[in-house]
Amino acid sequence: MSSLALATILLAASLAASMISVELGISVALIELGLGVVIGNAFDVTTPEWLVFLASFAGVVLTFLAGAEVDVLQLRREWKASTAIGLVSFGAPFLVAAAAAYWGLGWSGDASKIAGVALSTTSLAVVYAVLVETRLNQTEIGKRIMAATFVTDLGTVAALSVLFVTPNVWFVPFAAVSVALIVGLPRIAPWFFARFGDRVIEPEIKLAFAGLFLLMWLGDRAESHAVLPAFVLGLALSSHYETHRQEQERLRVVAFAFLTPLFFLRGGMSVSLAALWASLGVLAVLFAAKMVPKLVGVYPLARRYCAPHAAFTTLLMSTGLTFGTISSLYGLSAGLVDETQFSLLVAVVVLSAIVPTMIAQWRFQPDAAEELAREAAPRGRLALEGEGG
Amino acid sequence: MPFEHLLVAIDGSEASNRALDKALELARLTGGRITALAVEGPLPVYAATIGEVDEVKREKDRFFGRLADDVRRRAEGLGLPVEVDVRAGHAAELITSVAREKSVDLVVLGHRGHFLRDHLLGSTADRVAEHAECPVMIVR
Repeated sequence: MSSLALATILLAASLAASMISVELGISVALIELGLGVVIGNAFDVTTPEWLVFLASFAGVVLTFLAGAEVDVLQLRREWKASTAIGLVSFGAPFLVAAAAAYWGLGWSGDASKIAGVALSTTSLAVVYAVLVETRLNQTEIGKRIMAATFVTDLGTVAALSVLFVTPNVWFVPFAAVSVALIVGLPRIAPWFFARFGDRVIEPEIKLAFAGLFLLMWLGDRAESHAVLPAFVLGLALSSHYETHRQEQERLRVVAFAFLTPLFFLRGGMSVSLAALWASLGVLAVLFAAKMVPKLVGVYPLARRYCAPHAAFTTLLMSTGLTFGTISSLYGLSAGLVDETQFSLLVAVVVLSAIVPTMIAQWRFQPDAAEELAREAAPRGRLALEGEGG
Repeated sequence: MPFEHLLVAIDGSEASNRALDKALELARLTGGRITALAVEGPLPVYAATIGEVDEVKREKDRFFGRLADDVRRRAEGLGLPVEVDVRAGHAAELITSVAREKSVDLVVLGHRGHFLRDHLLGSTADRVAEHAECPVMIVR
């Protein structure tokens, strides 16, 4: 199939995914992944180099956007509980999934590490959607869950960047430029955006993209991955975007209109249904390797920090989607996992977006109004007691 | 007094506008009061980015804010007391539970007549009629 024919099919699929998403109220990313699976399995398509390249960049842009969504103040306020829950939520499934893949399934060391990283994630967006829809994002528990999710994702991107580094001379400039961008960009952003921003030629988006490409290039030379500096760069710019929402919106428009559809479609295209069908038992093992350590590891901490909604918190921390797909796709592009392993990891990631969310909403969803009243009650009583004497 | 408290489900569609017209007319005749329940559809489930969720949420807030203002203006024009309640969730479940929670005397809702969905899943009106604990008026 020619590049133009494939591009036409992919953009048509992206358009169809958007329309289906609006009609059904299901995330466009999930539909793009699904349509990618259909395209990849229905046509005899070899993924072209340009698609691999654009999808890699889209993954880094998605990571940057995720970093830019972080509410730093909230993270600081909730650091103790969120760090404990977030680190366990990352570490427990990472270790168990990597061990299960290595010793249980006989995967290579690198493939097992990719499995650990891909299955360690918690989906920021899935969690956010549930919390906003139920208005629980206004409650202490909701804020704590969001902050813990940021910590888990930070663990995931750090692992993806650090685990596969083969130290060479390029690591020094990669680290130096990463630090320079993370420290420098937030400082020059107010001046740059005031002088050059708010134009249809979008110098501010070009600045962000140029920075991300620089990180990708140096990361590639250093045999590392740009996701950690990209995430932290987004985090460093989050306060700026907080006060300049339109800039963030325009960046999202560029990303969602063209880049991220190619990322998810490319991910779906590389999923082999035949391989999945032949490995349903392995799929179950990997799903358990993500869910069991999440449930067992997070639940005791959730009981301590998010009572009485420990089960709800634990299930939300067990979700995954974007970073799981990014990690799996990185593994495939770098030749660390084969197509069957990639298909299994993406399938588990998608299942983990759906299954725990459904159970959390169906059985354990707290009532936001009751939760806000419950949180306010002790403070009110204390205030009255204080007044009384 | 019969039908003292009416609950009307609104979503800005033609069908819900007809239901609102009928509810206002009934309330004017009986001297009743109205609760207009605006049911926001769910946010995109299993989203991959916060931006996607944020955008839909903002869009919904704008749309339902305008809808609530419109209902208030129309009810005030007729001198009727109205409370507008905007909630997110599953339409039939919410209508039924709010009717129970507010002990309303009558639920008024429009019928869209979506052929395929109605036959496959049953309409919202059918489900509310089946589960509500008070009389239900379906406006066609």
